[in-house]
Amino acid sequence: MNLRYLMKELYYQRRRTLMSILGLSIGIALLIVLNALSLAYRQAAHVPLREIGADITVQRSGDVPKDLAGAVFPCSAVTIRKEEVDKIQKLPGVRGIGTGLLLWVFDPNRAWIVLGIEKENSIGPSLLRSSVTEGRFLGDGKPEALVEQAYARQFGIRLNDVISVADKKFPVVGFVDASRAAKIAVANVYLPLKEAEDLAASSKELQSVSPYAPGDVNLLFIKADQEKITSLASEMKGILGNKATVATPDSFLKLLGSLFALSDKFTLAASLIAIIVAVLIAFKTMAGNIAERAREIGVLKAVGWTNRNVVSQLMSESVIQCFMAGILGLLIALVAAFGLSFMKVNIPIPWEMSPTPHFLPGGGDQIFKTLRLPVHVPWNLAFFAILLSIIIGGLTGGLLGRHISKIKPSEVLRHE
Amino acid sequence: MNNSTILSGTDLSKKYGDLEVVKGASVAVKEGEFVCLVGKSGCGKTTLLSLLSGLEKPTRGKVNLGGREITSSSEDELALFRRDNVGFIFQSFNLIPTLSAWENVALPLFPLKMTNEERRRRATELLDKMELGHRIEHLPSALSGGEKQRVAIARALINNPKIIFADEPTGNLDSSTGEAIMNILNKLHQEEGVAILMVTHEDELAKTANRLIRMKDGEIIS
Repeated sequence: MNLRYLMKELYYQRRRTLMSILGLSIGIALLIVLNALSLAYRQAAHVPLREIGADITVQRSGDVPKDLAGAVFPCSAVTIRKEEVDKIQKLPGVRGIGTGLLLWVFDPNRAWIVLGIEKENSIGPSLLRSSVTEGRFLGDGKPEALVEQAYARQFGIRLNDVISVADKKFPVVGFVDASRAAKIAVANVYLPLKEAEDLAASSKELQSVSPYAPGDVNLLFIKADQEKITSLASEMKGILGNKATVATPDSFLKLLGSLFALSDKFTLAASLIAIIVAVLIAFKTMAGNIAERAREIGVLKAVGWTNRNVVSQLMSESVIQCFMAGILGLLIALVAAFGLSFMKVNIPIPWEMSPTPHFLPGGGDQIFKTLRLPVHVPWNLAFFAILLSIIIGGLTGGLLGRHISKIKPSEVLRHE
Repeated sequence: MNNSTILSGTDLSKKYGDLEVVKGASVAVKEGEFVCLVGKSGCGKTTLLSLLSGLEKPTRGKVNLGGREITSSSEDELALFRRDNVGFIFQSFNLIPTLSAWENVALPLFPLKMTNEERRRRATELLDKMELGHRIEHLPSALSGGEKQRVAIARALINNPKIIFADEPTGNLDSSTGEAIMNILNKLHQEEGVAILMVTHEDELAKTANRLIRMKDGEIIS
């Protein structure tokens, strides 16, 4: 391979070179964008759970309370026994568990959505610590409450007021902005888990529908090994029975409804088509280019170039062109990914995970987590695309070079 | 010129399908000899030249070039043999349009392991001899017909060949430029002692050669 000859050929045949590069770069860009989009949807599907530091959430549906009075469990989140929590905690692949106790409290003149939370846990709703906008987070061993900021504004609750929830008094020590937090595991009032347990244990209405003992919970937030999420989900269903609702990133992905989100096969098929198109474009343009150069190749062979010399020269030209096409395709894809990253995506939150009673105004509305689609081109995808371009170049140049190097110089050098 | 034979073709025939283009031709060229192969267009001169130079294999017969029987050699062996022993000059110059004059001259050296400076030095020496020292960086498109052919001659000489095969080297040139090219070839033959086998259909040009071989309908007639 002679680099000088190669560079001059590409430079002086600019139009031909550019056509080859452009054609292939579009195929490469398409391949990168399709995969980046698919990846972005997958990452978006992780967001609702990641915001509460979990990979899996678990709850269990049960019966609707006969009377909506005092503290009750939402029908989508009834008791998960302590023994069941212990079993789940011991499953291989479970890295940590956060717990919560969600209650609907119907007082004579107000309904509360109450969430009992652990004060110190990096998994679950205790992450709300970072969403405190005024006052402070819950202290140790004290019966106190955090109130959701918008709810406090609506009902004129101020810092240090004392609120009465199921006949129990709680001083308001802080406000939290739930709009900054995840759309799951949100409430009007946040209490220490122990206080919420006491409310649940002392509620006859709740006990009549779903027997409860302190230590039991009704929301589980689980951090798990990524590769074991799917198998863990089915094991947890095995422990909790068929009424268990186990939400994983895949659950959200399915709800997204995008073709990219729905099926790996779609992305794979579209990527394959993009690759085939790229290969065909490269093959067609380079076949045309090489056929135009039959006379030149005849000269090379006449002056003593072996078939191997010819193939190596043509293959190098093809590899360089395809490499440049790969770089251009990557640049196009980066620009496209930047543009697509402004696209908003609404991730539906399953109704079971919505804390609001469906019979309250707005309670039946579908809620969404809205976020910008995190489209980006990861380095390994970029590397794969460039490598693929080089392979396409090598194969195309090699095959066409072998074919054209078989021409007899005497056939193409005869004067017209 | 001495008496040892540099090139001999014995009983050469070439068939394309049913058409026999060269019929039992035998040719010999001695070292330093200037031989012209003349005949009308389509009589098989260029095909015979291709057979003798190893660009094409005969249907029948043998070619011995520089003491080596080449008809049984593989394509790549022939290419390497041509690179080391043979120079070509074509009617339509056959320069690579994207390479400069010196790079075209150095084209046979590209597959060899040597520095670019060495290739350039050798090519520039030959272009100087062809009085093209001032045109070494020009592309073929910037050269006149005569200049292109002088570049092609320099390319044919880059590996110090034992014999040059020239196929109608003045065919695309006007008469005065053609005459200048013939002067160069004559000078090469006389001063450098290079054997030349030239194909032409112009009797006038053939007169400068040591010997004429006449062809008609694929056969050598004299």
